[in-house]
Amino acid sequence: MNRTEHLLKRAAFALTTIFVAVTTNFFLFRVLPGDAVTNMARVPHASPQLKHALTAEFGLDKSKWEQYLIYLRNLCHGDMGISFAHRQPVRELLIADLMNTVPMVLAGTVAAIVAGVFSGVISAWRRASVADHLSTNLAIFAYALPSQWLGLVLLILFAGVLPSGGMMNEFLFEPAPFWQHLGDIGTHAILPVGTLMLTAYGGYTLVVRSSMLEILGEDYVLTARAKGLPARRIVWRHAVRNAMLPMVTLIALDLGYIVGGAVLIEVLFSWPGIGLAMYTAVSQRDYPMLQGGFLILTVAVILLNFLADLVYARLDPRIQR
Amino acid sequence: MRLRRTFAPCPARSRGPSRLRRSGVAVAVVMALCFSAACDSAATRNVFRLGGTEPIDSMNPFVAVNSSSYSVFENIYPSLVQVDPALKTVPDFAGSWQMSPDGKTWTFHTKPGAKWSDGEPLTAADAAWTFETVIKHQEGPTGSLAGYVAYMESATAPDPNTLVLKYSRPVANVLAQMSGIQILPEHIWARYAVGNGKGLLTFTNPAPVVSGGPFTLVKYAQGRIALLKRNPRYYGPAPHIDGLGLQFFDTDDAMITALKSGRLDGVQSVAPTSVATLKAAGLIVASAAGAAFDDLIVNANPKQAADHRELVNPLVREAFDRAIDRNAIVKTALLGFGRPGASIIPPSTGHWSDPTIKPTPYDPAAANRFLDEAGYRMGPNKIRIANGHPMSYTVIMPASITNGYGARSFQIIQAGFKKIGVQLVPKHMDVSAANEALFAKKYQSFEAAMWGFSLTTDPDGMLSYLTCRSRYSLNDTGYCTKSWDGLYAKQATAMNPAVRQRIVYQMQQAAAREHLYLVLDYPDSIEAHSPSWTDLPMIEGGSFSATSKIPFQTVHRVG
Repeated sequence: MNRTEHLLKRAAFALTTIFVAVTTNFFLFRVLPGDAVTNMARVPHASPQLKHALTAEFGLDKSKWEQYLIYLRNLCHGDMGISFAHRQPVRELLIADLMNTVPMVLAGTVAAIVAGVFSGVISAWRRASVADHLSTNLAIFAYALPSQWLGLVLLILFAGVLPSGGMMNEFLFEPAPFWQHLGDIGTHAILPVGTLMLTAYGGYTLVVRSSMLEILGEDYVLTARAKGLPARRIVWRHAVRNAMLPMVTLIALDLGYIVGGAVLIEVLFSWPGIGLAMYTAVSQRDYPMLQGGFLILTVAVILLNFLADLVYARLDPRIQR
Repeated sequence: MRLRRTFAPCPARSRGPSRLRRSGVAVAVVMALCFSAACDSAATRNVFRLGGTEPIDSMNPFVAVNSSSYSVFENIYPSLVQVDPALKTVPDFAGSWQMSPDGKTWTFHTKPGAKWSDGEPLTAADAAWTFETVIKHQEGPTGSLAGYVAYMESATAPDPNTLVLKYSRPVANVLAQMSGIQILPEHIWARYAVGNGKGLLTFTNPAPVVSGGPFTLVKYAQGRIALLKRNPRYYGPAPHIDGLGLQFFDTDDAMITALKSGRLDGVQSVAPTSVATLKAAGLIVASAAGAAFDDLIVNANPKQAADHRELVNPLVREAFDRAIDRNAIVKTALLGFGRPGASIIPPSTGHWSDPTIKPTPYDPAAANRFLDEAGYRMGPNKIRIANGHPMSYTVIMPASITNGYGARSFQIIQAGFKKIGVQLVPKHMDVSAANEALFAKKYQSFEAAMWGFSLTTDPDGMLSYLTCRSRYSLNDTGYCTKSWDGLYAKQATAMNPAVRQRIVYQMQQAAAREHLYLVLDYPDSIEAHSPSWTDLPMIEGGSFSATSKIPFQTVHRVG
């Protein structure tokens, strides 16, 4: 199979997956009893006409299939619909949320990758040493911690030192100067980013360690040692680069979730991102918001997996054969 | 080739940032962090920073559902009247008012010379336009506000300072209704009210909002913040504070931590479990008897499904009521911040609550006796048998109940019911699903539910929830009788307060007699704020009120 064929095959697979996910998401939310109108019509002296008017306004009076076709048609035009709860275009709301989510989760994930690679490499290089035991056990411990629990512990530990919620000091009438604003967001991001980093780094450590141990046993590493190359160069220039293949998959998967947001962390620290928006939309039965949020998450995960496939094929051409 | 590239020696290491540059960046970051904290505290010194967990869902009064949205509207828009800390109706935009002898016409005299925050005149014409618009579109876009204009036929402004409201029949709670609905600027909103009025729902009312209340909304970010600045053109007494900010948190822990660390000045609601921590941190915790109750609903529909028809039996309902240890609920679930429940109109509403209705005593022995009398004998596994089936019932538990102390209350109730041979099985649902489960098959299929109501001082709202008209919206019992609807209509038109009080008492007694709601408790409203602030009264369950501007007009820093 040549490269173009491989690419086309993967692209077709990705598009099919997106279509299936869009369809599943649409029907999944509607399987549950109740909808947004049930809550909105709970007002004193509400007449049956109000309920009917709301149902018609949201298009919920049409059959599920009709709603589905309208949804697909609008989606093809880039229209994600109007939020039931906020009566604003879903696309605008989600883009704003996404802009808040990406920097926070990206910072946490990058920090976790750096810490995970570093500790994994040290563990593998110093195998069976105190450093290895310490690093591996810490990684397993961190990996096992539920993010919401760890976040809560950090919240209590750093109470009074770091902001416990929100993305910035929201109480300023005038916008702060750039550096002050940046510092403000930075301080608010420390706890969510730290929580994310601590819960994710363990996985990277364990994968890198295992992959590195395999690579360090290869002949070319022995050759490099025999040639008298410095240890640091053997590890970082030869072994680590070859141990990165499983990391590519892991990173691609994790980066997909950057777009989906770390729901629990965003909820705990009231970080106004896409994860928090979806969490709120679930309780409000805001179908357009839910569909939009899950669509973005689905597309992001599939695209990043697609990219991982491409990178993988480039790193190891045997995959295309 | 590609493989070779993987193993190829790396190019010479590029020079990274110099040590000087790295140090510079570090210093800049540290300075930014410190500077941000120092400047922020100075800039917000006279801004009351309030934390809340229920976000504003919309800044459009025709779209909003959440109570925090209405509290913001109350602070930025004029109302004709408002409620004071003694729960009396006092002037707001209307300085005085009269009712016609037949009770069908109300004339309000509004404050002359008032202006909106953009300098446009604020007159009775704005009020007339607001009410007329709600009336005109009440079966559609303005339906969520229809309750405030019930039986109102017209609203006119014969002159800029006079508003005349005409009703199709006498309405006893006009003033209570007028304290809950705000007046909108016609010159901003009229363009959206054309045609079928659907434009009223699409206007997002973005900040800065043209306001007429003590504050103007200058910043709003969905789910994050509503920032209000003192309105220099306000027709009433100017607030002492420069502004009021409402920040939303998704967890109590984060909000309480922010209050303790001085990043907030107050929080809207405090769980009983947090009170001791806050007091220990030197914060002022204020609690007041709340206009709310929690309840166990036992299906009251006479036409309910055959497999739980015994639930309409008065002896069964009486037995259930006596199996509830209300004192234990108050002590254990509410940690003492509440009172055992009795009537559906809480004592905090003052003279509207019937004092003769007392909490049903916890008496499992009597409850067992009632069930024996009804002929429901104890079966295997110590569960009674009624009409050939075990007395085991599913209790619908909406998330709004289980997220708080409701789960602890349920355990106490469950243990009490076990003692009388009745099994309660919780079924957790979100609010939409819980509503649908109650309404399913015309209220015939559900057995029990645990829920509650937050009310206003006027009893009309609560009494209306048991009418036939409220079925499939706020009526969560399935109850629907001509006699109740008749009494409701009678109290609604009783213009003599003493006569109305008598009817309201009669209705409460009927509800208690038929055990429509097994009222569990009246939870206190609990708030907390920094000792640096004072004069922040709680009105109808909170200082951030939807019916009064007074708390944030009076609050000020100590000293």
